[in-house]
Order: sequence, then structure tokens, then C-alpha cells
Amino acid sequence: MNSHSSSYHAANAGLLPSVWKLLRLRLRITYNSFRHARLRNKIGMIFLWLLLLVFAYLLLAGSRWLLGFVHSPEFARAVGIDLGGILASIPTLTLTALFVGTMLTSFGVLLQVLYLSGDMDFLLATPVPIRAVFITKLLQAVLPNFVLFSLFGIPMLFGLGMASGYHFSYYPLVIVLMIFLTLAASGISALLVMLVVRVLPPRRAAEVIGFVGAMFAFLCSQMGNLANTFGRDMEFSGTRLSGLLSLADTRWLPLNWAGQGLVALGEGRWLSGTLLVGATLGFTGIVFWFAIVTAQRLYYSGWARMQVVARKKNRTRPRTTRPTTTGRGLAHLLPKPIFAILQKDFLTLRRDLRSLSQLISPLIFGAIYTLLLLRGGEEPPPGQGEAPDWFMNSFQVALTYSSVGMSLFVGWMLLSRLAGMGFSPEGKNYWMLKVSPLRVDHLLASKFLVAYLPTLGLGFVFLSVISIVQGLSILEFIYSFIAIVLCLAGMTGMLLAFGVAGANFTWDDPRKMNSGVMGCFGQILTMIYLPFSFGLFIAPLGFAQFLEYPLIYGYLVGLILGSLFAVAFTLIPLWLVWGRVERLGAE
Amino acid sequence: MPENLIEARELTKRYGNKVAVNNVSFDVYGGEVFGFLGPNGAGKTTTLKMIVGLLQPTSGSVHVAGYDVQTQSRLAKASCGYVPDTPNLYAKLTGRELLRFVGDLYDLDRTQAMRRADELLRMFDLTSAENDTVDSYSHGMQQKASLASALMHDPRVLILDEPTVGLDPKSARLIKDILRQLADRGAAVMLSTHILEIAERMCDRIGIINKGELIAVGTMDELRMLDKTGQTSLEDIFLSLTGGAEEAAIADVLK
Repeated sequence: MNSHSSSYHAANAGLLPSVWKLLRLRLRITYNSFRHARLRNKIGMIFLWLLLLVFAYLLLAGSRWLLGFVHSPEFARAVGIDLGGILASIPTLTLTALFVGTMLTSFGVLLQVLYLSGDMDFLLATPVPIRAVFITKLLQAVLPNFVLFSLFGIPMLFGLGMASGYHFSYYPLVIVLMIFLTLAASGISALLVMLVVRVLPPRRAAEVIGFVGAMFAFLCSQMGNLANTFGRDMEFSGTRLSGLLSLADTRWLPLNWAGQGLVALGEGRWLSGTLLVGATLGFTGIVFWFAIVTAQRLYYSGWARMQVVARKKNRTRPRTTRPTTTGRGLAHLLPKPIFAILQKDFLTLRRDLRSLSQLISPLIFGAIYTLLLLRGGEEPPPGQGEAPDWFMNSFQVALTYSSVGMSLFVGWMLLSRLAGMGFSPEGKNYWMLKVSPLRVDHLLASKFLVAYLPTLGLGFVFLSVISIVQGLSILEFIYSFIAIVLCLAGMTGMLLAFGVAGANFTWDDPRKMNSGVMGCFGQILTMIYLPFSFGLFIAPLGFAQFLEYPLIYGYLVGLILGSLFAVAFTLIPLWLVWGRVERLGAE
Repeated sequence: MPENLIEARELTKRYGNKVAVNNVSFDVYGGEVFGFLGPNGAGKTTTLKMIVGLLQPTSGSVHVAGYDVQTQSRLAKASCGYVPDTPNLYAKLTGRELLRFVGDLYDLDRTQAMRRADELLRMFDLTSAENDTVDSYSHGMQQKASLASALMHDPRVLILDEPTVGLDPKSARLIKDILRQLADRGAAVMLSTHILEIAERMCDRIGIINKGELIAVGTMDELRMLDKTGQTSLEDIFLSLTGGAEEAAIADVLK
């Protein structure tokens, strides 16, 4: 009877106690994870947090000093302009970034916690108000990002307040507004998640997000090169900056109200400040509440429909796999188990967007550098100058082959993923290979080819473009191709061996596939191997020029030295991990 | 005299100080279905994994179809099919591609493999979903795809870990019939299960493992004779042998 009455009591519990109960559960899980972590991980985590706190303090002190300096009349006199307007727009820009950033980043996390975490059914079956479950899930999704944003945003905004001598009320309101904006952004994000899963199955949506996110991150990292390639004439003028900042002054954008209200309150303009901050709090509160209520309805009413849609969508048939001429050739050439693994891995890579995103990065990188080379091709060749002939000839050889080396670098990027994680992508499916009568040499050969063949193809395309742009002779093209074939083989052997040593089959999230340090070691060592290996092919050409021997001697010596080195690095690492491959997956 | 297709001798598996399987010996003959029962954590899955070569025993040996799993692993594996408790299959392959892949792994002739895949897809009612990727399959469909993969090379020994979990009655019945047919054709079938009714109806002989030790092996009649309390149902015998009878008595009081 007691257990019954306590269940009824739980069913009648209010919203906030229920949210608190669920949050306590989350905190307990986090605490347990920390408690059961390895000592070095614990120390690492504590160290990281201390580091972040020190960083936040330095940011606060730096902002205060820098903004105080920019604010000073001396600075205004020295540069001749008053930057007060720009400084006043900092809160608006920071809070807008917080809102947009939270909305974008929490989408993926919310998708995970609402649909893929697996505890939703359990929670919805308990006598806890569903609204409490949603609020907790939203908090769980946005809390890490909020903490991260706060570590940057709060010191900067507080520094601005101190530098500008803002009123005391400014400081607590910064935090309150950040919380409200974060909640509203996460609410909108939750609604978007509910809408997306009605069209796409959650797992597919997660793959698409992973793909788009990876592409976006990679393009951002290559922004400098892209700007160089596509926008040489683009200038970032002061006029454009002030045009951008004038957006922050616009009153009709609700996102601006929070920042403008904070500045107004800080400067003692009480009426406009209170109105703007009040409007922001009210508006974001309504958005959050609306989002929670709607998301709750959508989750319940949409669940069954989503399941039906998901099945229909999932049943979309993948493109039929008709073997190409190369495929048919390989099927006849290779033993059946090797071809089977090759075909399976290529199909999986093509169909899994998260894997595909990791492969497309080197392709984009290659495309950017090809364009750079094409543009660079318009420039006049270097003149003879006053250097001796042997130097200029050797220098010319180095110049010709340095761009060929670029195709090896692109290959290295692709191989790091394909060979460096050659075995880990098998994950929990590895048992299928393990229980089959597969030979170790067949398994290694198949994984080698899965990594090597696409990289060789990419290297060949890249080399062909370079040959056309730089006008390489047939001999130079063939020699470069042989060098690429062998250097890439050595690199594949090394990376695959590290892939075997660091194989991880226990992951659920593909991002956690590479859990060890072996992948890092492999990448570092192959980065050292690459110039050595390629250098052995190229250096004899330079020496031949220097010693004024016919170039053919240089080619022969380069071929012998380079081939021996590359073949040794192809075979020895794989021989070293041979025994380990037999034990893989045998816990 | 039926052929001894699984021969486990003094099989032991230790994880540090913990003994998961201790000195287990048994035989499974061609033409019989051997049930492997035991409470949770008794060592059933560990034993099965050692038989199929997924785990290396700390000591002892296993022979499958006459081949030592440790020293002649490829020959042993070529004779054996395995269905794990969780059907972890390549999610991005279609059902047909999965079977073709398995056929190639076992080096089957391609035409023969295609024919076999057709048969199995039809038999397990997966033809309508043969071109859908495995991640779109329900648990039951994945379980059936897993069993179809294990049967692709027509193994002489079939090891199944909880094969009927998550299956609807029709599919469970289908699997039971298939296993019986396999055994009738001379294969050795070894399965672990929690469902005692299945074990009692399907299995020719039963082994009961508890806390890593094999405490009883035999036909139903032999197990009845082993049990001193004179129980007649497998459930009662199982509870009596594994020490669960007291809990069952308490459960009766609570009813």
C-alpha cells in the first residue's frame, strides 16, 4: 500500500520538484562518471577546468584593460574617431552570437537526447510530468554549450561594464538575459528537431547534421585559402564594418533589445533600459514556454506518425549496386573474401554520411589547392638571376616536384582516415569477420586496398591536373606517378598498422571510433615518413644535376632508393601487427 | 554412432580473478539439438563465444567438426555458423548484399551463393525487404537476417545465443522448425536460451551451467534422475539444480 501511495504522490508532484528530481539524476550520473573515471582522466578534467577558469579571468582582465583603453579620450584623440558606438554594440553582438550559436549547436544534441538516447520511453512511462522531462532534456542539451559561451561571454561583457563604468544592475542582468536567451534558443531548436524528425528518421537526421557540421567546420578552417582563391579582390573596408555594426543599432530586431537594454541600464537610461530588458525577458519567456508546450504535443502526437514515416523513408531503396568495369575486373582478380570486404566497405562509406564527411574534407582541400595552383600558373616563371646553372637546374627540379608532393599530402589526409581507422569502423559488426574462415593476409590486404585504391585514384587525378598546369613531360609524369604509387603504399602500410594497434570495436557514436593515441602517432610518423620517402625519389635528380651527370642516372637511383624504402615501410609495419590482427576482437 | 561435432574439454575462461567458465567439458553430436541453460551471468555466452572462436579460452580446448578452434581455426570456422544474442549486422548493407558478403567470406561459388540467398530470403520472409538496408529492419527481421547469414554456407555446426529473443511467435516457430530440420540432416545445433519451454520441447539433450560450472548434462529423463527432489518439469529441475527453488517458493507466497 505504501508503494502505491508514494507512486500517487509522485504523479501529483509539481513541475519544478520534478525538474529538480530529474536534474539531480543527471548530476548523479555525471558525478558517477567522474568518480569511476581513471585517475589520469580525473586529473586531466580538473586541470582543464582550472585552465578554463584562468582563461576566463585573463579574458576579464584583458577586456577590462583593452576596452578601458579604447574608451579613453586619449585613444579617441590619437585615432581621431570615437569608438563608443562600436563598444556599445558589443553586448548586442555577444548575445546574438549566444542565441544563434545555442540554436545551431543544441539542434544536434537535442536530437540525440530526445530521440536517440533511449531513455525517453522510460521517462515518459514514469509518473513524472512530461513537461518536466522536456525542460530537463533542454537543460541537459544546452548546459554544456551555455557554460562554454559563458566562459567567453561573461568575462567580456563584465570587462566592458567595468571599462565603461556601467551601473551595478548591468552585471546580474547580463547573466539573467543570457539564461533567458539560451532557453528560448533551445526551445526553438527543440521545435525544429520535432519538425525534422517528422520528415527524416532521427538517425538519418543525425547523419545529415554530422555531414553538414563536418563540411562547415572544414570550410571554416580553409576560409583563408578560399578567400585567397575566390576573393582576391575582396577588401574588408571600414565602411563594411560600420555597415555590419549599424545592424546592431536597429531597434526592430528583437535580438538587439537585450544588448541595447543592458547598455541603457548600464548608462543609467532607466526607462528605455527597463523597457528593452523587460521586453526581452517577456519575449524569450513566451518563446520558451510556447516551444515547450508545442514540443510536448508534437512529441506525443508525432511519435506514432514519425514511426510510420520513418519506416517508409527507411525503406527508400539504396541505388542498386551494379559492378563497374573496374569492379568486375577486381572481382576476377582478387580472392572472393578480399573483394567482399572491399565492396562492403565502399558501400558503407558511400551510404553513411558521417563517414563520407570525413572523406570529402581531403577532396575539398585538394580542390582548393588545385585552384590555387591553376591561379598560380598564370604567374611568370622565376628568372635565371645570378645563381649558377647547377643551382638553378636543381632548384627547378625541386620546384617541379614540390607540387607533386602536394598530391601526396592530399593523399595523406585521406589515408589518415581510411587506413588509420581501417579496422575500427567495423565496430560491433567485427564478429562477422571474426567467426568466418578469413585469412589474416586476406583481411589485411582488403583493408589495405580499401584505403589505398581511392587515395591512389585521388593522387592520380591531382597529378594529372598538376601535369597539365605545370606542363610536366611524359617522363616526369610517369616518374611522379611511380613515386606516388610507392610513397602512398608505404604510408598505407604504416597507417594501417597503427589502425590495427589502436582498433576500437566498442563505439556507439562514430565520432568516438578513434579513442586511442595510436591514430595520432600514425599521423605524426607518416608526416615524417612522407618527405623522406618522396625525397629519396627526388633528391637523386638534384644530385645528378649538381654533378652534371645525365638525368637518367638520377631517375634510376631515385627509383631504386625510393622503391626500397617505400616497400619496406609497406610490409614491415604490417608484418609487425600480423599476430595482433589474429587476436583482434577476441576480448 | 553419430559424429561428435562439438567437443569441449576442460574449458576455462578467467577475467583477472573472476572465473567466468570453469573446467567445462561436454560433447554435442551430429543430429542433435543441444540446449545450454543457466541463470544470468552463468557463463553461457562466454562458452559459446569460445566455441566459435570469438574468445580465447584461458585453458582447455574446443574441437568443432574435428578441428581445434585454436590451432585449426579456419577449418573449424568454415564448419560453423553463429547467431549472436544481439544481431549486430552491417547496417548500411541491404539484406541481399549482406548474404552475398557472407557467401564471399565463406568463399562460396557466386551462382550457388545467389541461389542460397534467394532461398534463405524467401524462407525467412525477407524477400520484400531484401533491397532495404539492414538499419531499416525491425529487431525480429535483423534476428532473421542474422540467422540467414549463419545458414548461408550450410554449416555442420550451428551455435545460437538466445535465438528466439524478440521474435514474434510465427518467427520463433519458424526458427524452431529450421533448427530441427538442420539437426535431422545431421548437423549439430547448440543453443542457449532462457525459455525453458523451448529447451524442453526442442532439445534432445540439455546442459545446465551455473556460476561458470557445468552442473548437469543429459536428456530430460537423465536430468529427472539427477534431481533428487523428484521434479518432473524442466523449470523445477532447473530451479532445484541452480538454487533458485527458494526464490520460487517466496514468489509463490507473494502470489
